[in-house]
Amino acid sequence: MKPFGGRCAAFVLISWAAMAADGLRIYPEKVSLAGPGATQRYVVISTGADGVDRDVTAAAEIRSSNGKSVEVDAGNAAVRGATEGAAHVEARYQGRRAAADVLVGSSRADLAVSFSPDIISILTTKGCNTAACHGAIAGKNGFKLSLFGYDIEADHDMIVKKHDGRRVQLAKPEESLLLKKPSFQIPHGGGKVMPVDSHDYETMLKWLQQGAAIRSSGPKLVRLEMYPPEQTLLGGAGNSRLIVMARLSDGTTRDMTSEVRFESADEGVAKLEGPGGFQPGRAGLTTIRARGMGKAATAQVAVIQAAAGADFPAARVANFIDELVHRNQRRLNVRPAARSTDEEFLRRIYIDTVGRVPKPSERRAFLAAPDRARLIDTLLADAEHISFRTVKFEDWFRNTQLYSQGRAMGTFKSWIRDQVEQDRPYDEFVRELLTSSGDTNRNPAAGFWFPAVDFMNNKFEVKQITPTVTRLFMGLRLECAECHNHPLENFTQNDFYGTAAFFGQMRMKVGNTVFRRVWYQDDSAQVEHPATKKPVAPKYLGGEEAAIPEGADRREYFARWLTSERNPYFARAIANRIWNEYFGTGIVEPFDDMRSTNRPTNPELLDKLAAFLLEKRFRLRELERLILNSEAYQFSSTPPAGEAGSDQLSRLLFARYFPRRLPAEVLLDAISQVTDVPQKYGGHPLGTTSKDYEVPDTPSYFMSTFGFPRRDVLAHRNEEPTLAQALHMMSRTTLESKLTAKDGLISKLLARGATDEEVIGEFYERAYARNPRESERASVRSYLESERTAGRTKRRTYENLLMVLLNTKEFQLNH
Amino acid sequence: MDLKVTTRQGLSRRNVLRIGSLGGAGLALPGVLRAASKATSCIAIFQLGGCCQLSSWDPKPEAPPEIRGTFGHMPTSLPGIHVSTLLPQCAKRMHKWALIRSMTSDVAIHDVAQRYMFSGTRPRTELQHPSFGAVLSKEMGSRDGLPPYVVVPDRQSSAEAGFLGSGYDQFVAGDPKDKSYRVRDVALPAGMSFEEAVANKKLLHQLDAEFARAEKSPLLGSMDLFYQKAFDLVSSASTRKAFQIQDEPDKLRDAYGRNTTGQGALLGRRLVEAGVRLVSIYQGGYDTHTGHEPAYQRILPEFDTAFSTLVDDLDQRGLLDTTLVLGIGEFGRTPQINPAAGRDHWPGAWSVVLAGAGIQKGAVVGKTDARAAYPTERPVKIEDVGATVYKLFGIDYHKAYEGPNRPVPINTGEPVKEILA
Repeated sequence: MKPFGGRCAAFVLISWAAMAADGLRIYPEKVSLAGPGATQRYVVISTGADGVDRDVTAAAEIRSSNGKSVEVDAGNAAVRGATEGAAHVEARYQGRRAAADVLVGSSRADLAVSFSPDIISILTTKGCNTAACHGAIAGKNGFKLSLFGYDIEADHDMIVKKHDGRRVQLAKPEESLLLKKPSFQIPHGGGKVMPVDSHDYETMLKWLQQGAAIRSSGPKLVRLEMYPPEQTLLGGAGNSRLIVMARLSDGTTRDMTSEVRFESADEGVAKLEGPGGFQPGRAGLTTIRARGMGKAATAQVAVIQAAAGADFPAARVANFIDELVHRNQRRLNVRPAARSTDEEFLRRIYIDTVGRVPKPSERRAFLAAPDRARLIDTLLADAEHISFRTVKFEDWFRNTQLYSQGRAMGTFKSWIRDQVEQDRPYDEFVRELLTSSGDTNRNPAAGFWFPAVDFMNNKFEVKQITPTVTRLFMGLRLECAECHNHPLENFTQNDFYGTAAFFGQMRMKVGNTVFRRVWYQDDSAQVEHPATKKPVAPKYLGGEEAAIPEGADRREYFARWLTSERNPYFARAIANRIWNEYFGTGIVEPFDDMRSTNRPTNPELLDKLAAFLLEKRFRLRELERLILNSEAYQFSSTPPAGEAGSDQLSRLLFARYFPRRLPAEVLLDAISQVTDVPQKYGGHPLGTTSKDYEVPDTPSYFMSTFGFPRRDVLAHRNEEPTLAQALHMMSRTTLESKLTAKDGLISKLLARGATDEEVIGEFYERAYARNPRESERASVRSYLESERTAGRTKRRTYENLLMVLLNTKEFQLNH
Repeated sequence: MDLKVTTRQGLSRRNVLRIGSLGGAGLALPGVLRAASKATSCIAIFQLGGCCQLSSWDPKPEAPPEIRGTFGHMPTSLPGIHVSTLLPQCAKRMHKWALIRSMTSDVAIHDVAQRYMFSGTRPRTELQHPSFGAVLSKEMGSRDGLPPYVVVPDRQSSAEAGFLGSGYDQFVAGDPKDKSYRVRDVALPAGMSFEEAVANKKLLHQLDAEFARAEKSPLLGSMDLFYQKAFDLVSSASTRKAFQIQDEPDKLRDAYGRNTTGQGALLGRRLVEAGVRLVSIYQGGYDTHTGHEPAYQRILPEFDTAFSTLVDDLDQRGLLDTTLVLGIGEFGRTPQINPAAGRDHWPGAWSVVLAGAGIQKGAVVGKTDARAAYPTERPVKIEDVGATVYKLFGIDYHKAYEGPNRPVPINTGEPVKEILA
């Protein structure tokens, strides 16, 4: 077989030998100290020609261009403001240079302890205000703090005033519960987290001695930044440092490295040690997060065991996806799998695009002229693909009888199918959904609102639809911000209610039968902020307030903004969703959690896919075509020889195709197709596939056991294997009738007088879309022989053989 | 002390879940609690549709006929406590268990209320909370290779494992009242000998091995594991025996009642003996919008017989000290009988019974108003029932799991202390 068939002649081979940008950097690059006495730690990173970063802070020579204003304390790797002024701080290392700008303001270094940030920072770094402790909605033992300290006033109030003021005793500060509990002078459920002789204890005591004031009039924290934002390190290279710096509302910066709480998403890859320190461990890609004062910042850490050498394979490039995927693989020295064979590709793409396995005739036609791009075009235009994609939208939009009581599910399904069939631009499609009103039987698009029904009160619930809309169309999980500022994202409760206000005028009534729902707008309705109890004006997420004339449909403004280029999330969210469908892993993972602290593994790739969608005017089929034609999608699922690398990295870098269980419907249809015994779905005519079936709210045992989703909550499909699945296939409850059917495959083969060899070939071609290898034929032959010797009939042995094949992983997985 | 909540991203396809070693408060507790725990297993009869409080545990003889109905009331083994005449056997044994008459919630939709009751946690739209069975499976594990969480007769989609993932999901036992009852799928295909199955398995291994040589994925390992477990189950005589309700003497089967609930309770006892953690028996028929009384005349006696026989049987076998027995529904029924002679959904007040492991015998908690519409004394939330169950198992019920978005406490209620022994 030719390695490159069809249009692959157009492939470009590129080399990334000159890709790594070697150099030296000092972080943070722009510092603005409040005044004399203020300090800021720095870190110096050297990037080698191999693309590997090294922390050379200790080895580098650091000089200030103006020592009168900015002093360098190399021992502590920090700069200190001396007098008002400015300086370049230059780092030199092995002949290379890097510089940072440092300004020193005029504020006297403030020796007073203030509640914010000092006390809040202690509460945060000690974990006092996490959801598991006093940051829980209900607090702990009557002492409640805002999650990660976002609500300074409330926390101050809770500490100083609530509980009859017993938490602080200004007359005898040492007697305050605030000190006695965490230092375990009296029992504390959270243990001894702040010993009496600790620095934090001293700080808290000093704050109490100074009068426990809130003093919230000072500059506010605008955002946290973490440095270096991204680095690639060698495993076992020794301690590395991260620096967290706050930018304040008065333009100054403040070193927060010791005042935030660090978390490593994978301690095996980056093990935290002390404030900002970590040890790179095994190979992997992870995120380190810092939280404090209700804000969060992240840095990405890649760890490799060795840099990619000269023998790292060059990329095969079908389109820009491959260039960008390759760049990341090379950076992390993860070799991609070989190209899939035509047979591997054939079975995979049938399952992924039309939701079934290829038929023998389709296989032969493709192998006779293996033009992958042409097959992709054919399948994307196929009615079965349209049905299959419709099912995916139904999953996303939660089209279920639970909400519609059955009556509107079919109308919504067929309306979605129409949109998919025309490849209606996704932005238009979404705008229609978001502005739909009326009776769901007359205007099917309004079926979108069913998940917004609050069953408990049988009314429209804006708090349900708001996070649904942001999750679906922006990949943002806003539900946390309903009750408190988002702990992992720089979104606040105001953002939640500002978004909710666009939908707050929607109302629902029951139509002329109990099952009908009618959606309408009530112009006088308002969304109330739970804290201020005042109506909230609609505000674009992370943006400006919307100027909407009285009486206009607010949803139209939201929908226009959502799908416009002003909103960076919309195109990225859908690009990532579609990507995730074909790779089983998002560029942002999980695919619908695009908060700023959850970094894309390949930001440039996501940006380019989003730009591509804009250029193609949101025709999703074009994006699918692009993805399916990429070499990245067409990698084999077999790891490259000798590659002992981590599955996690290979998955995050799309270095091969990862086997996935066939979805419930696909598996059932595949079994029907292989055995040549169609499945009967409800009242639909025989031959209808599961894709066109309106699944009832109590799906069959098979469907629910193999992971058909209920669609009642915003959840992903369950792709895990289970015991019940194994039992069901082993006991052949569903298989039985298909294996023994009088007009099924086995009967036909027997009637035709097929030989064992023909039967084996036919089974393999149907189940796996390939011919059996000689070793497999031998295994099967000897099985048939010994089973017949044991007295089993020919038919029985064929039934058992086919059952075994349907139980193999090769059949039950897409690979 | 490690106070971090660790979130795993990337690798986890689905919910890579770990118990957050959260907050100091929880750290020392599990050991302490487990030591004091009573229950190792639980059998729950769920009264699907919502059992009418007035027609069962909380009759109101003084109320007008359109409220009290016609069932009447009878004294019980507890002085001063009366129950409906439809529960004569339970009445004789009231001193053996605890009754809560003041359950209350605001959820009147079956599906949502059932999810509430099966998980002990108020349902949310973006998060499916694991049901009791899933949490018990995770926390207690399985014993002797049996699935830890078994349901009779069929799966309830409101009682799934939620974000804990399918590894903790319910195992469906089928309906043991059927004459030719066999547990679903836990058997070789009809007519297949063990030798034949072994030959098939051997071939499967050979063919799978070729595939596994090329493919590497954790998925393959877990599929192998489940396949092996499945094979062990179908070929294990003791598993089959646990489900073999036909082995029970006819007299005992009759005593439990020859219906799904009765036979389910008996099967539950067999399974608990064999090591299952939770057996949920779903008894339908309580959703009586029309024809309330005729329906209850049929189903409540079934419950009465099954529940009381189960408690006796467990007691005689010395299993009651370690087995918790529940009789609960998702809400009550309207105090006022409607024009169709039915009673509609009513979450304002209803009653539940708890027996066995660690339960105070003869405790009666809470009172309702003259119409049994709302509690007047000691209202109890579904969360509190959840906390009670977990406490009896020695599970740190306020411990948080790492949910899809954030830490999610197993339960937010407090145990009902008055019913704890």
